[in-house]
Amino acid sequence: MKLALVCSHGGHLTQMLELMEAFEGHETFFLTHDSVRTRKLENAYLIPVIGTNIWRMAMSTLRIGKIFWRERPDVVVSTGSEIAIPAFFVSRLLGTRTLFIETWARITSPSGTGRIVYFVADAFFVQWKQLLNCYGPRAHYEGGVF
Amino acid sequence: MIFVTVGQHSEGFPRLIQGMDEVAGRIQEEVVMQIGSTTYLPCNARWFRFADYEEMKLLNKAARVVVTHAGAGSIITALKAEAAVVVVPRLSRYAEVIDDHQLELARELSTEGRVVAVSEVEELEGVLQDVTRPKLRSKRANRLIRALRTCLEEFEQD
Repeated sequence: MKLALVCSHGGHLTQMLELMEAFEGHETFFLTHDSVRTRKLENAYLIPVIGTNIWRMAMSTLRIGKIFWRERPDVVVSTGSEIAIPAFFVSRLLGTRTLFIETWARITSPSGTGRIVYFVADAFFVQWKQLLNCYGPRAHYEGGVF
Repeated sequence: MIFVTVGQHSEGFPRLIQGMDEVAGRIQEEVVMQIGSTTYLPCNARWFRFADYEEMKLLNKAARVVVTHAGAGSIITALKAEAAVVVVPRLSRYAEVIDDHQLELARELSTEGRVVAVSEVEELEGVLQDVTRPKLRSKRANRLIRALRTCLEEFEQD
C-alpha cells in the first residue's frame, strides 16, 4: 500500500520516525512542516506551520488536497499535531483510510487534535493507558513509542 | 558535557536558558545549548538556535547529561542516546505553555525513574552533579509497532 505519514516537524516527527518499522513493506511519503530538520527527509512534502489560524488551516486543506489527489495514498497515518486535522478531513472526502496515534506527550488529557480526529479516524491509538478514560470505545492502547 | 535543549517549539524558553547559563558560569563542565527562539543569549555557554536531527542526535550522544524542556521529541531523543536526562517542564503558571501536559509527562517519567524532573531552575545545579543514566525499556514500542502492522494489514484486506 502507499502510506502518507503526516506529522508536524518536532516531537511528532520524532515519534513517527520511531514507528517506521511498522511501515516496512509499504511505500511511504511524508507530509510535514518546513524546517531545518525536515528538509533532509526523503519523499517529503513540506507545508507551512498551521497553528490555530483558521486561514492557514484553510490554505493547508487546499495544499493537502492537491498533494493527496496526486499521490492517492491508501492510508493516511498521523502522530499529530494539528496538521492531522486538514489531512484527515481531505482523506474523508477522498475515501482514504486513516490511522491516528495520539502523542506520547499526552497522558491524562487528550490533545486538541486528538479530540477532533477521534471522530473521523478509522483507527485510533493512545500511548498511555490512562488516556483511554478520556476517549470513547474506539480508542485503543497498545503500548507507546518509548 | 551538558547539553541543554528547548526543542523545535515556536516559543523560546528563557527561564531554562538563563538559568542554565548562570549554572554554566559557576561550574567547570562544558555546556552547549540549543536555544530555539529564546531571545536571551547565553554568555557562559556555546549555543545555537536549531539543528537538524542528525546533529541533535550526535549532541545528545556526546552529552553526559541532557537538560531538556518536557517535549516528547526531545526526551525520546535524549533517552535513545542513553544520556542521563533532566527535564524542566514548560509551565502554564509562567505562561510558557497553555496547559500543564509537559509537567504531567515529566512527573510520569520521573516516577518511572527514567528522568529527573525539576520544576524550578534554581534546583538544577544540585541535580546536575549526581544524575545517572536511565534504564532503557522498549517493550512498549515493540507492542505498538506490532499493533500498527496488524491494523495496516486489516486495512489492506478489506
